Amino acid sequence: MTRFKADIALQVVVSFLALGLAGFAGAQVLEPTEGPLNGSLGDSIAAAVAAAPVGAGAEEDEAEDAEAEESSETETAAQEPDVAELERQIGVLAEEIEILRSGETQVRLTPDEARRLGLAPSAAATYSVDQGVSIAGYGEMLVENYANKAGTKSDMLRAILYTGYRFNDKFLFNSEIEVEHGKEIYVEFAYIDYQMTPNVGLRGGMLLAPMGLTNEFHEPTVFMGAERPVTENKVIPSTWRENGGGIYGAFDKVAFRAYVMNGFNGQKFSSGGVRGGRQKGAKAKSTSMAFTGRFDITPTPGVFFGASLYTGDSGQGEVIVDSTEYGVKTTIYDFHAQAQVRGFDVRALFARANLDDVIQLNQFLGKTGSAGVAEGMQGAYLQFGYNILSQVVAAGNTSLMPYIRFEQVDTQDRIASGFTRSLKTDNNYFTFGVELKPVAGVVLKVDHMWVTNDAGTGTDQFNVNLGYAF
Amino acid sequence: MTREEILAGLFSSEEITSGRVFLTKEQRSQIGELSREQVPSGLVARYVIARDGQVVGRAYVDTHIVRTKRESLLISLDADGSLRRIDVTAFLEPLQFQAAPSWYQQYNGHPLSDEVYPQRAIRAIAGATLTANVTNAAVRRVLATDLVLEGTAR
Repeated sequence: MTRFKADIALQVVVSFLALGLAGFAGAQVLEPTEGPLNGSLGDSIAAAVAAAPVGAGAEEDEAEDAEAEESSETETAAQEPDVAELERQIGVLAEEIEILRSGETQVRLTPDEARRLGLAPSAAATYSVDQGVSIAGYGEMLVENYANKAGTKSDMLRAILYTGYRFNDKFLFNSEIEVEHGKEIYVEFAYIDYQMTPNVGLRGGMLLAPMGLTNEFHEPTVFMGAERPVTENKVIPSTWRENGGGIYGAFDKVAFRAYVMNGFNGQKFSSGGVRGGRQKGAKAKSTSMAFTGRFDITPTPGVFFGASLYTGDSGQGEVIVDSTEYGVKTTIYDFHAQAQVRGFDVRALFARANLDDVIQLNQFLGKTGSAGVAEGMQGAYLQFGYNILSQVVAAGNTSLMPYIRFEQVDTQDRIASGFTRSLKTDNNYFTFGVELKPVAGVVLKVDHMWVTNDAGTGTDQFNVNLGYAF
Repeated sequence: MTREEILAGLFSSEEITSGRVFLTKEQRSQIGELSREQVPSGLVARYVIARDGQVVGRAYVDTHIVRTKRESLLISLDADGSLRRIDVTAFLEPLQFQAAPSWYQQYNGHPLSDEVYPQRAIRAIAGATLTANVTNAAVRRVLATDLVLEGTAR
């Protein structure tokens, strides 16, 4: 009787594992294979056997007990091989479940193959094969209150879904579909990656310009402040995306990206910067193309610095004055650095834009005086933050970080002869705020920004940003 | 490379015993308390590596979700329970969310302690906070699992 109950217990365990495996693998039928059986599993089975309750036979008379014991011993001897087989099958099932759960590729590189590809073990592991859709997203709601203006504005600034599809281990699609201000739908990027090696790939489609600190990493849980830095709005017009293609690569301490993409539409430039020149990949004029790229070095984890460059014409073959076409060459570069160490978060960026053929562009656009597009624009900022919960063990992943940002932006840093500077375009910003992340994917940021310029028209503002990313 | 091949290279030994451990309810609870992380599975893939009959290390596989896709780490420990090396055996998110090898190397030599957290002994990854957090949780879970299974948890 005891033997019988133990067998039932084992069969229940096997059935449970088989059901779990079937559910995980989509009812995949498994062929039993040889596999090791560990001591812990054997212990578990022994414990199950020992724990099997004694049945009603305990109350039978001695004669029946003796007969049953003799019969049981006979059955036990006969069933020993079956128990061993069940143990083996449980071991195989457990191994298959664990491997399926891991997502590891079933097509493995041999050490020789890995060496030929120049891969370390970790790098070789990225040759995984997993097809299917991936979904992620982020969003942010912003409330702005201005010191010198009536009313307060609240805006569901962004609600985004990332969707991707991995066709195989080489080809990947990735996209960001955005709803801005609750009503405007944009594709922020949509590209195909061809992963040539684990470190280098080709990319084509609608791409984010690889400039600055914010343009490519613009989730509210990543950038500091309720609003993005002004420099990365007016000089590097994030979120800046255009159509193109190029190469990307990431090694242990070095990363780079280099693309060719359609240039700005210079006819949309203004005294306030180049932001209006973005074509956002929508029926983009592509007569004038541009090169853009970046190079970053990570000397130690948590610290990186680098530079970015964009250069290309913005005339799109349409800026013609006195029968002469002007290219309106536009060059933007930046230097950036970031360090996140022991709860401290320091970020710095300097960006500058230089434009050629500005006199002709302004003439073509009919801009005069202080309304003219400038030959030079620049901005810079320095931010400090400290997560005051970073050294508190009980806080876990909760973060509470006061921060400050000093910033200066001048969109008419150098103007063409015959034009005048607007005193409103050279602004200083000082921001003080605090951000709370109860979990890593949710952030509440509150800050106050003091704005000054030579015209005395700077408007201070109070901001609240509720953001998420998953 | 297979897990066994990675471990053979790391520990310079072919004496590798693999097994799957079924954690008891009490063990899962103890691991959760020690690591301060969730223990979502009671099935643990465990490897014991010996050289000339002497145990020189152990290794565990931890699988977890980064965003919507899985990452699997082969986390190898020295015989004293401190972390020897992390190998990424599967990363199914877009590669831009994967940490660089040097980031994983920060964990080398660390036993389970309150220092093993981002913003303490472990530095963050710009733009990949979720990867850093789930990886750290996996490391803490494995270090605690080893303490419990080895009976050295205090």
